Amino acid sequence: MDLPDEAYLAAMAAVPGVGPATLRDELSVRSPEEAWGVLRGRPGAPPDVAELWGRHEAAGVLVVGRGHPDYPNALRDDPEPPAVLFCRGDLAALDRRRVGVVGTRRGSRYGLDVASRLGERLGVAGVAVVSGLALGVDGAVHRGLLRTGGAPPVGVVGSGLDVVYPGGHRDLWRQVGEEGLLLSEMPLGVRPTRWSFPARNRIIAGLSEVVVVVESAQKGGSLYTADEALARDLPLFAVPGPITSKAAKGTNRLIADGAMPLCSVDDVLLALGLSSPVGSATPVPEPGGVSGRVLDAAAHESVTLQTLVDRSGLTLPEVAAAIDDLCRTGWLAESAGRYERTTPR
Amino acid sequence: MLASITSACLLGIDGHAVRVEVHITSGLPGFTIVGLPDAACREARDRVRAAVTNSGFDFPNRKITVNLAPSSLRKAGSGLDLAVAVGVLVASDQVPGAGIDDLAFFGELGLDGSLRSVRGMVSLVDASPVADVVVPAAAYAEATVYGRHQVRCARRLVEVVEALRGDEPWPDPPKPGAPVPPIGPVVARDLADVRGQAAARSALEVAAAGGHHLLMVGPPGAGKTMLASRLPGLLPPLGVDEALAVARIRSAVGETLGIGELSTTPPFRAPHHTASPVALTGGGSGLLRPGEVSRASHGVLFLDEMGEFAPAVLDALRQPLEDGVIRITRAQAAATFPARFLLVGAMNPCPCGEAGPEGCTCSDGERSRYRRRLSGPLVDRFDLRVDVQRPSPDELLRGEPGESSAEVAARVREARARAAARGVVCNSRIPRRRLDELCPVTPETELVLEGALAGGRLSARGLDRVRRVSRTLADLEGHDGPADVGHVRMALILRAQPLVAA
Repeated sequence: MDLPDEAYLAAMAAVPGVGPATLRDELSVRSPEEAWGVLRGRPGAPPDVAELWGRHEAAGVLVVGRGHPDYPNALRDDPEPPAVLFCRGDLAALDRRRVGVVGTRRGSRYGLDVASRLGERLGVAGVAVVSGLALGVDGAVHRGLLRTGGAPPVGVVGSGLDVVYPGGHRDLWRQVGEEGLLLSEMPLGVRPTRWSFPARNRIIAGLSEVVVVVESAQKGGSLYTADEALARDLPLFAVPGPITSKAAKGTNRLIADGAMPLCSVDDVLLALGLSSPVGSATPVPEPGGVSGRVLDAAAHESVTLQTLVDRSGLTLPEVAAAIDDLCRTGWLAESAGRYERTTPR
Repeated sequence: MLASITSACLLGIDGHAVRVEVHITSGLPGFTIVGLPDAACREARDRVRAAVTNSGFDFPNRKITVNLAPSSLRKAGSGLDLAVAVGVLVASDQVPGAGIDDLAFFGELGLDGSLRSVRGMVSLVDASPVADVVVPAAAYAEATVYGRHQVRCARRLVEVVEALRGDEPWPDPPKPGAPVPPIGPVVARDLADVRGQAAARSALEVAAAGGHHLLMVGPPGAGKTMLASRLPGLLPPLGVDEALAVARIRSAVGETLGIGELSTTPPFRAPHHTASPVALTGGGSGLLRPGEVSRASHGVLFLDEMGEFAPAVLDALRQPLEDGVIRITRAQAAATFPARFLLVGAMNPCPCGEAGPEGCTCSDGERSRYRRRLSGPLVDRFDLRVDVQRPSPDELLRGEPGESSAEVAARVREARARAAARGVVCNSRIPRRRLDELCPVTPETELVLEGALAGGRLSARGLDRVRRVSRTLADLEGHDGPADVGHVRMALILRAQPLVAA
């Protein structure tokens, strides 16, 4: 039976221990079918190429090798291009302007808020957002984008397209595949490994024109994406955060090392050469009186009710009333029993 | 020769009247007990034989058959010893049989003829069909709890026999001794010792006033246990019926009660987190013993380090929390125990205890596993959920002492009186059908509730609970009308979601 080159690429990508570099090396000297002949003897290699290929066809997963006409143009000249990509959704998403947005899995309220706004702003401007579908910032930016429906999300993941990771993002995963594009270097059924996330990050950088790191801890995985962006000479933004916040250590360090601070969501559009499509909204005036005192007491950290009472010097019922007002007007958000300042939309 | 003696045995926390029939006949000497006795009960043979002999009476060297009626009821424990011994002595004509039917006998015998108390004496005496009861002197306090019986007590079998023969009067009851020991391991202490913690103090007061379950979340050393141990001091003293119910349970688990006044201190139970499901709910093979939920009935059940309890143990609490009773069903028997307690939980926000983005060293997996230990339905049953923070050094060293327990307890009593005037024991037990009548929503409070529902701060299930807590807050302020916006906002704040991740 005649199988396309992509079938052999899929089989080789499924061999444990065969990474993008090995594949590239093999394919630089051999055809996919010959390369498969070399690698098929490795332990854990898929026994039946035709069966694996059949599964991909049945699942409607598009497999593109570097020679395939649909292979993303953005990756053709990449220093480390993936030898094969597994796609679900519409590859036309990559014809748009593209911004990579990544960040920590454990973002603060502020970080998630910025990510979500960034997603919304880029969506309204029609810019595709490339991200990694991880918990925290990655999820927030795509959700923000999906709310506007203005541009497709592009999700690059580190496991097979049928292996949803993290499990909590099952719905988002499906939605990105339906309304945007879901990409992976891994064939169906492959579970994520420790190294598959850094490898995935280089594809995010490779597909982006600008990269924004929203929040990252000192040694966060997002910093890999930042490194990859620098390796590709991409404009790199980092969102400044409080110097006391663990989640902002990595991003603040990036700024100190020369990344551009993201002072406004619109900065990204300027970097893409897009003028701001809508005039920036007039800021909502800050509340005064008792609410103002409670808001001041919240500073810009996540604080408990008791802290708000202690810092504001108000009574508990007064603080309770103010919190209710502030939550309703969007100045405060509650999560896990703590309150954090946000900006009303 | 036949004798029939009245006694009772314990099943769960209830006594059941038992007739001990003793038949002595000629034949091969022997001593058999029939009528579903358990092992301890069957061993009465050896105890009775030794006690009778060592008290200086003759143990008949004939065939003795003891029947425990009704024979379908399983008899557990050693409380029938005295009745069996008296029966043997009556049937062998060593004690006159006249008038023996007007007395009931309870207690365990020692080999030397001494009388010992057994578990559940309160319920045993309560179950006695006759007005005169004979109990071991050690059980005098428990036997007189209900006060409906003429209680005679003795220290030794000889004293019983001499009194029955009319040779001696019944011995005097023991004098009231040491004061009643407080229930539970933690003695009620004063709230004035707690500095700062306005939010937690407020939640504690509302919990006491409305009987609302309280969950405190905070890092180690924040004072969660300290706060919880102040709760019994805020609760109103038990009423007579409640005090009787508590005494019954305490007696049934083998606690010794003090002589004199019935204790009206609400129980405070704080089982360790290694407790098994049965230790908490009650049960056990054969005789069903009440568990911690029943021992905490009419008082406080405090679960410290709630995140460390086995999830199965915690979920076993859901049914009693809802129904106020716990039904224990085993192949051998079934029992229903009271389980109307105020649940107070304390836990760390995550395994390392340092909540918040700063300081926490737990991985996402660890945190979500920890959170999952408390199931959603259980968390939902806490009307009050507060975050307790470590007080600042300034507060600890220079803070003003807070309000004393006496001041807060006075407000709690007042609030409970208001609830009682409406015909409810406490606001947390306002039935759903009376919610619109007792916790009406005004147009102003409706706006606040709507906002909270729309903003995701409040779930539909939480709505009713917030209404009840608002009622309590209004009651605490001496406000009889509908709860106002301030009360509803307070209720919302005191029901934050301390555990569910964003």
